[in-house]
Amino acid sequence: MTDDYEHYEAVVVGAGPGGAAAAATLAQNGVETLVLERGVESGSKNVSGGLIYAEESAPYTIDGLFPNFRTEASERPVTEYYLHNVAGRKVKTIDLTDLHEHDTMWSDAVLRRHMDSWLEDRVHEVTRETGGGLLTGVRVDGLLREAGEIVGVTCEELDPIKADAIIAADGVNSELARDAGLMDWEDPEEWFQGVKAIVDMPEGAVAERFGVADDEGVAHLFSGDLFEGVRGGGFLYTNDDSLSIGTVFHLDSLVAEEAEPHELLDALLTHPLLDQWLQGEYEELEYGAKLVPDSKKAAHPSPHRGRLMLVGDAAGQMQAQGPIIKGMNHAVSAGALAAEAFSEAQTRDRPAEAGQRYETKLRDEGVMKKLRPTPYKIASAVGENDAVASMTDSLVDSSLGKLGIKAADRLGLLGRSFNSPFVMSVMPDTRTPYVTAPTAIAEALGTPVRAENDVEPPDLADRIGDLTYDVGDPHIELQDNSYEASGAAVAACPVSAKDFGGGCYRDETVKTNGHEEHLVSLDTQPCVECGTCAIVADTEWEHPAGGKGVEFKQG
Amino acid sequence: MEIDPTEHEIADLGPKIKDVDDADELREMLAAEEDGEDRVPVKTLIEDRLETVEGEDEEVDPGDADLDDMTVADVANMVRDVEDIAVLEDLLEREKAGQDRKTAKSQIEGRIDTLRDSDDDEDEEVVIEDPEEKYPDLDHPTADKKHVRALEDGDYRDMWVYCETQQGQLIDVSREMLGKARELMDGYNDEYGESESVIAVLIGDGVGELAEECIAYGADRVIYLEDERLDRFRHTPYTRIFCDMARNGGHPFGREDRAEDDWRDYDEPRYTVFPATNNGRDLSALAQAEFDSGLASDCSDLFIEPADISNPAKTGKPGETVEFQRVLHMKRPDFSGFEYSTILCLDKPGREFHPQGASVIPGSFDVPDPDPEREGEVIEHEMPLDDDWFKVEVTDYDQLEGGVDLTGNEVVVALGRGIGSDPTEGIELGLDLVDQFEEADLGLSRGVITASYQFAGHVEQYVTEERQIGESGQEVEPAVYIAAGISGAVQHKVGMDESDTIIAINTDADADIVDFSDYFIQGDLFEILPELTDSLENGELDIQALAGGASDD
Repeated sequence: MTDDYEHYEAVVVGAGPGGAAAAATLAQNGVETLVLERGVESGSKNVSGGLIYAEESAPYTIDGLFPNFRTEASERPVTEYYLHNVAGRKVKTIDLTDLHEHDTMWSDAVLRRHMDSWLEDRVHEVTRETGGGLLTGVRVDGLLREAGEIVGVTCEELDPIKADAIIAADGVNSELARDAGLMDWEDPEEWFQGVKAIVDMPEGAVAERFGVADDEGVAHLFSGDLFEGVRGGGFLYTNDDSLSIGTVFHLDSLVAEEAEPHELLDALLTHPLLDQWLQGEYEELEYGAKLVPDSKKAAHPSPHRGRLMLVGDAAGQMQAQGPIIKGMNHAVSAGALAAEAFSEAQTRDRPAEAGQRYETKLRDEGVMKKLRPTPYKIASAVGENDAVASMTDSLVDSSLGKLGIKAADRLGLLGRSFNSPFVMSVMPDTRTPYVTAPTAIAEALGTPVRAENDVEPPDLADRIGDLTYDVGDPHIELQDNSYEASGAAVAACPVSAKDFGGGCYRDETVKTNGHEEHLVSLDTQPCVECGTCAIVADTEWEHPAGGKGVEFKQG
Repeated sequence: MEIDPTEHEIADLGPKIKDVDDADELREMLAAEEDGEDRVPVKTLIEDRLETVEGEDEEVDPGDADLDDMTVADVANMVRDVEDIAVLEDLLEREKAGQDRKTAKSQIEGRIDTLRDSDDDEDEEVVIEDPEEKYPDLDHPTADKKHVRALEDGDYRDMWVYCETQQGQLIDVSREMLGKARELMDGYNDEYGESESVIAVLIGDGVGELAEECIAYGADRVIYLEDERLDRFRHTPYTRIFCDMARNGGHPFGREDRAEDDWRDYDEPRYTVFPATNNGRDLSALAQAEFDSGLASDCSDLFIEPADISNPAKTGKPGETVEFQRVLHMKRPDFSGFEYSTILCLDKPGREFHPQGASVIPGSFDVPDPDPEREGEVIEHEMPLDDDWFKVEVTDYDQLEGGVDLTGNEVVVALGRGIGSDPTEGIELGLDLVDQFEEADLGLSRGVITASYQFAGHVEQYVTEERQIGESGQEVEPAVYIAAGISGAVQHKVGMDESDTIIAINTDADADIVDFSDYFIQGDLFEILPELTDSLENGELDIQALAGGASDD
């Protein structure tokens, strides 16, 4: 019966920027392309920090593939970029606009529901012209194999579909990448976790409070001692009429500190520094969370197998260049390159070569070099060694170190090294760049913020309550419900917390036959599908069925 | 011969020859051309003119025309004016007996076809060729079909609705279909100036008493048959009865001794509508097969409209679009609801497809407000029920648990994760309180159902999803809602917010539920619940006195 399955020349799974770029490029090359998206609409499953870049050195940019992208799909461009080093009330601000503008044609803030749904319409139009199309509400749940070879995809809602090329742009929790054995959810060190609040701004407030014109915007980054020593930082981006404020932390550090992500976000939101922008008003439009792969460690150097090619987050293509995080732009490049690769291979009647061509293109176009910089490999070997790390930490923290910071600042070295893409790309993942150094910088050079910030972010129950869910069957199964195996999820899950019964993961003490057990229970109803628990707990993790689960309105 | 064609180019000849009206002269010209250059286009030109001229001046009586003497063109001109098929058939016979020219015969046959078509009130005769002959290379799995029970030239009227019952009650989809049928037929009667009816069909044990309800929901007539052997649905008797009801007396495939209904003058229903339930699907398939019509199963919408059809298999006229009238459009979800298709059941030349039948997904239409004042006719259908039809015996059946229905209670006692320190005792205390009221039941928050709590065997049965209150569970609005150990997340709130009086018991005075409770008792449910139970038992409960917290209204 397998011969009866529908067949397309190419199937693209996921209609985010990577999938959209792939589908549009395929269609432009006349390839019959079917795009499958599991959300009720593209963007309804997506959260991002909120900046998309167009790099001068990139082979493709989103506005190149989708004209009018910037006027119709994005928010404000980022025309100023600052890093705030925080120690208590003391803040030392460094202007990073130079680093931000390095190799940057433009960079816009985006809200993913709006952006991706706009892309969806364009993709639908172009793919229809070559005999394909785009279906929403369809969850691709695995690869279709014949005689061990990948020949298509299986879906929860539809019969399996065969294709000569399968482009998996199904995001950070890609089930296809895992089915193919190319990616895993094992090591917390390979991941960041971000949480974000979209904060409403009254009309005209963005321009007034940030001192920008209508076609300008600002990015602020925050690091230092406001996050309980967890390695990571905060960000604030200006949208047209709202702010994206969030925090991003190394997942292993979150787990080690048993920190609550929503509390860390609140620590940023309530810091006195933010009063100048919030001014006592706080209306949170949406709370969201997402895993971020650290491409230095997670980007697959050869992201293809048989007819399958991975693009974007699914392939770990998320570049953390120090404080600057670039993901969507690489997904766009990768998607278009994968499409190019297939089209070329198909033209030569050797479609099986698509994957290898894609890998070569990633290398030749310089994408892989950005994702996995060679110097980092050397620096990390030394810098992430524990003994070396703590020595660096204590050095920076010592009065000698602080003296050095002051001297460096006076010489203008501080701003220069932060603004060096090279220094930023090889920065080791230790506390030093995230916590110790910024704190020391702020203590040595910072000016105290006098304002009081008395905003009250909503509690977790309200954040969950304000999200839109279509509850389907539980999509995550707890394999081991002992606290030792899965307890880390109680704190690390962005919609769970200790002593909170309304979240996904709750720790419970259960008495049976005279002895007590410390267990974890799971209710997937409030799940935001970030994937954190797939890494930190012992679970069988799948996405909800098409159209089910959380629906982000902002993203 | 005034014009010698051999002296002219064909281009000059065209205009000149138009002035020649004499057939003999034209023949002379033809002969000259044949003897001369013998140019084919020139001969055609002259022949054409000759035909025109001869057609004009020779008024041949087709009844006794001598075909042997006539060219094919003469024949064509002659038959064009003949209106009598008998005359044409006679001509055809004589041609066959005479020169038997193929072209001549086709001229005569063509005219006969045209006349036959217009006799049928249709424009053209359609040659129906057996598909087996037309496509000898293909498989024809239905070629040996024994029963073709479609009517020829049948009369069809009314919309028949099969009203399924369960345990002596109409099920909701029956009401939904009656409401929809009423709406459709009202529109139909307006549109076409007819007065066709909605007919409800009831089959079962003691179903006659539901007839009035069917009328209240929109039926004009109810036809029912009741027999105690029909207490449960079985294929054979239900199908036989439905078809016997639908086929009027004198029907070629119906029961021989069936009397004609005095209330109708048609053979079969125009439309039939069944519920897409397990039984309805069975019956609809069997009945529509017996009528030799089609069936659109599992429809989600119905409407009656004309349809422009260009498929020659249906129109019989390749290349033409024909408007079919009074077509039931049956919309159904495909590909798990990703697409919809609209099914039409259309007659085709030589074969009628009626009744146009659909089964309807329950819940597709709203249950209409019943109108107890509506009047209608109730007809008890009489027919012998053959014992053979009841050979299949229902020896046992089981009523599936209807599930716990928490709605309609006076009091709901709901427990949340506050029972966590001793979940079994928590459930026991909740049940004790439930027992103090006449109409009360136990509800649970989602947090309890999804917890890893271990419950002792005697209370475990209560911890099921069926008791869950909230967005993904049941919504209740009792007179009194007692929420013990429930924090009151939005998802829970939507399931109980409409309760008249909400009493919350919680150790945390800041819990969200306090904001939308009428009474708040701060304290541990393990202490408060027994106190409440005791006070109720002793008849001394004073809720006002117990309420220690704030209230929003």
